[in-house]
Amino acid sequence: MDRTIKVGIIGDFNPGLGFHNATNEALKHAARALSLAVDFKWLPTKSLEDQSEQKKLEQFDALWGSPGSPYNSMDGALQGIRFAREMGWPFIGT
Amino acid sequence: MLGIRDAEHEESAPGGSTLFISKLACSLVGKTQEIKITPDSIAHRAYGKREAMEQFFCNYGLNPVFRNEVTKGKLSITGVDPEGEVRIVELSDHPFYVATLFLPQVASRPEGPHPLMLAYLKAAAAFQARRNG
Repeated sequence: MDRTIKVGIIGDFNPGLGFHNATNEALKHAARALSLAVDFKWLPTKSLEDQSEQKKLEQFDALWGSPGSPYNSMDGALQGIRFAREMGWPFIGT
Repeated sequence: MLGIRDAEHEESAPGGSTLFISKLACSLVGKTQEIKITPDSIAHRAYGKREAMEQFFCNYGLNPVFRNEVTKGKLSITGVDPEGEVRIVELSDHPFYVATLFLPQVASRPEGPHPLMLAYLKAAAAFQARRNG
């Protein structure tokens, strides 16, 4: 059984946006090549305005700043990114 | 993180006093550019080479006025386009913190995952292993 990596994607998922689907697929491609399993979850930016939601970011092994501005909440997105930066969570912003 | 308290994005706050992220001189939507990568950076270790072709889907980027401000903090510019415009930044005192103006995920294929995605998930696996002791 492959190890499972949990990724939190900071962004407002829109199934009509090709690059949002590409984000999910790219994680699966890379995980398979590394013999890992990936469990990803999109985190709506509005929810990240809430301090208790920010605390929940600790459950992930890495965070991703999704493309697709403007975010529903720029403040929520920035709070999530700040968590990754200040707490030392692996982060990619694309 | 740079102490620019009123930093704004031109798309969401076009009248902001400090437009840290501004509209690009020409849109990059649908364009492919060659990126030059700084040696010994996270990006360089990920790609294993000094240049890469990448696809863009954006109309906004770092306002060139703030370029020097960016590198005064802990962020380093580690990827630029042929004109020297900022395309990749990363944090040096962090396990893995990379931001790109292009979309690496779009170039990923089942048989050819993107090198930055591989490096990112490797960093996540190492982080998980450290946390689990």
